[in-house]
Amino acid sequence: MKRRGTAVNDDVPLRRDSHDHLVCSVDDLPPGSMMLAPIGQFGVGVYNVDGEYYAITNYCPHQGGPLCRGRVQGTSHAASVGAGESSYVSEGRILRCPWHQWEFDIAMGCTITQPTRHIRTYPVRVEHGNIIVTK
Amino acid sequence: MVDASVQPSFRSDAELRDYLAPEFRSRAFPSVEKVWYQAPGGDYHPDLWGEDGVRPGADADVTARFLFETIGADSAILNPLTRGNLPDYILNSAICAATNRWLAERWLEGDAGTTFYGTIRVNPEDVGGAVAEIERWADHPRMVQIGVPLQSREPFGKPQFLPIWEAAATHGLPVAVHVTGGAGIEYPPTPSGHPRTYPHYAAFMPLNYFYHLSTMLVEGTFDKLEDLKFVFADGGADLLTPLIWRMDTFWRSFRDQTPWMTRYPSESLREHVRFCTNRLEGPVEESMVSPWMRQLNKGALLMFASHYPHWSLASPADLPAGLDGDDREGILWRNASDLYGLSERSS
Amino acid sequence: MAGYDLSGSVKEVEIVDCDVHPYERSVDQLREYAPKGWEKELFPSGREISPAFLYYDPPDYVHARSMRYDAVTPSGDRPGSDPDFATEQLLDGAGIDIAMLQPIPVLERLPEADHARRVTTNNWLADVWLDKHNAHGRWRGAISVSMRDPVAGAREIERWAGHPYMCQVLMCPQSRVSFGDPWFDPIYEAASRHELPVATHVMGLGPFEFTPLNPVGNQTHWHDFLPSWSLLYVSHLMSLVFDGTFEKFPNLRVVFTEGAFSWVLPTMWRMDAYWRARRSDVPWVKRSPSEYVKEHVRFTTQPLEEPPVSSDYKEYLGWMDVGSLLMFSSDYPHWSYDAPHWASRFFPRSALNAIMRDTAIELYRLPRTVLELTSRDSGRSMV
Repeated sequence: MKRRGTAVNDDVPLRRDSHDHLVCSVDDLPPGSMMLAPIGQFGVGVYNVDGEYYAITNYCPHQGGPLCRGRVQGTSHAASVGAGESSYVSEGRILRCPWHQWEFDIAMGCTITQPTRHIRTYPVRVEHGNIIVTK
Repeated sequence: MVDASVQPSFRSDAELRDYLAPEFRSRAFPSVEKVWYQAPGGDYHPDLWGEDGVRPGADADVTARFLFETIGADSAILNPLTRGNLPDYILNSAICAATNRWLAERWLEGDAGTTFYGTIRVNPEDVGGAVAEIERWADHPRMVQIGVPLQSREPFGKPQFLPIWEAAATHGLPVAVHVTGGAGIEYPPTPSGHPRTYPHYAAFMPLNYFYHLSTMLVEGTFDKLEDLKFVFADGGADLLTPLIWRMDTFWRSFRDQTPWMTRYPSESLREHVRFCTNRLEGPVEESMVSPWMRQLNKGALLMFASHYPHWSLASPADLPAGLDGDDREGILWRNASDLYGLSERSS
Repeated sequence: MAGYDLSGSVKEVEIVDCDVHPYERSVDQLREYAPKGWEKELFPSGREISPAFLYYDPPDYVHARSMRYDAVTPSGDRPGSDPDFATEQLLDGAGIDIAMLQPIPVLERLPEADHARRVTTNNWLADVWLDKHNAHGRWRGAISVSMRDPVAGAREIERWAGHPYMCQVLMCPQSRVSFGDPWFDPIYEAASRHELPVATHVMGLGPFEFTPLNPVGNQTHWHDFLPSWSLLYVSHLMSLVFDGTFEKFPNLRVVFTEGAFSWVLPTMWRMDAYWRARRSDVPWVKRSPSEYVKEHVRFTTQPLEEPPVSSDYKEYLGWMDVGSLLMFSSDYPHWSYDAPHWASRFFPRSALNAIMRDTAIELYRLPRTVLELTSRDSGRSMV
């Protein structure tokens, strides 16, 4: 799965169709932060992960928990086959659902276990310093 | 038909003592019968006591006639009981060694020996001794598996046991786990303490395999040793579905604590785990049998066992009606034949 | 009740949640309810520190503390410690009409302290949850008794029997003695005389002495520890059957909480087969084990299993008499919570009402209607 990135469209004239939602300015969403926007039935969480923006629905594909209330952190990675050494990776890139603690890769939009379960994601773009989510 | 679990008996403790290395011959060890949990009326099937009073399972000819004539087995896997987890682990290993010598000499030689296969008994609490015993017998053409007790003070997924499983896997020998005889340092047989009745004990005891299995899965034992196979010889496949599904359920929640678990726990079963059948478990209603077997593909996991000479003795007639043909063939002979490489061995 | 108007209509009970965990807001709150003379011993202050037994940890424990992360109260207190917030999040938010509260009092080292701790819990539950914050009548409680002192437990049952909102007795199953042992008879006698079911709930993090003692040694992680709770219940169930408890106490009903339930099907087959083969060992067991189970035992649904192929699970549930045996539970506010509208999708349609409410209504003699919770706010905030 290709990692999604943010389109930055400063050259395009300002446009708003009915599916665009202005979330906030880029100043309001520094790296490592999240803004929960009142879009749709459950809301959409917009994350700034190392300068890239990702928008995910605030609804866990497991049982419908408020996904964006969960913690963003890294996770462990096995360095061995079977129990043994592990290391800490992906700091700031992993979202754990606040209910059953499933781990989602924010950029990939899915769980990090196999088989993957996907989160509903939305395109994010930056226009004239504003973060816009299309739903 | 392959009978995947038969427990041959020593005629007496004196016979075991004859096979013990001389330096151990004045040592005390428990009798094979269990002290607290012997079945009322005895653990052996009442019909199997000979008129000469010979202990059931002690006479190779009588045993062979029953298995190969009466119930129609083509071959049988012998797995003699040991005497419990003794605090003197060296003595315990000596008992295992004596048992292996006795089995090879009295059961695996001669004409009757061509249809018997054997188990290399080892003591998991003596890792070095167990590995040495495996090395001693691994090339014997009739020894087809390693045998360890179900009773343990640590589940078999713990790292201290790895060298034993590695030796087994290296030699292509499955590890059979079976309730042991005797009396040793053991915890109560259920997690709610000592049962008051025999049916409670007998119905629960085989299920303790799951503690071993769950820890092996969480520790990634089967990932470290890709050729390792475990056989839970007392049965318990009836509880497998609900229990392994519980592990599957929470795998995604616990991934970060055990990042080496890269797939659903239940996905390891086909390659690595087998169960002997037991006539006192599983669905009885004919229409349920086939759908029950299909879940987790239990038809590939089960191997028929008579458990001769135990009171719960079974024959192929005890397999449930409603098994589909392929599953039935697998259970009666093919799964065991594949697991133990029997067609290669007999050629 | 802040935030809700209760003067309106009643509504039909649609969902009974049979496993909800109330917690004290603080040690200070609980200490007030300790029996005289026990305050200092149960709730040391000053230089003594009361650590927790932390060696099997649920996911992200340091932050989540075994709870749903979003169930922290508005004042930043422990999830489950604010009855009014629980009303909003569970009763209103998740659509639960009646919640059966099962406190989890700490396990004490000495039997008399264990009993005093449970007396404290009962006093606190009755006052805070069943009285001060129960204007809506939606909370039901359990009389906690100590597995270490059943005679004192029976006295505690007498003390609370007849309370309008105490609907069952609650006991820890980590007893080293199986439930069919005559040791527990005083509890069963009092409970069945008062027609109160006896529920059991695993008390989770506790001292090794009272962690289920695995016959082959203890597991490494919570992941392998968790499925073994089912085996603890398997053994207790076998004991209740084979020790003849249901013959001795024909009125007794038992509820196994949070131990899953799909194990019940093969366990009934297994018990029936061993009973048929060994009847003379247990002549006091006059009926088949599965008959006793169907009549006397109920199981809560959480946590539902999620096998890789979910149609396998639905097929499996179709083999069980789920309409008689099961009662829905969420386990709010724990992390392993099952949302009711998610869980209900797995149940056969013909058994849905039984599982979501009717079996619990019958067992606990609950009303069929409750006061409607009409929010005073016009808008609904996002959960």
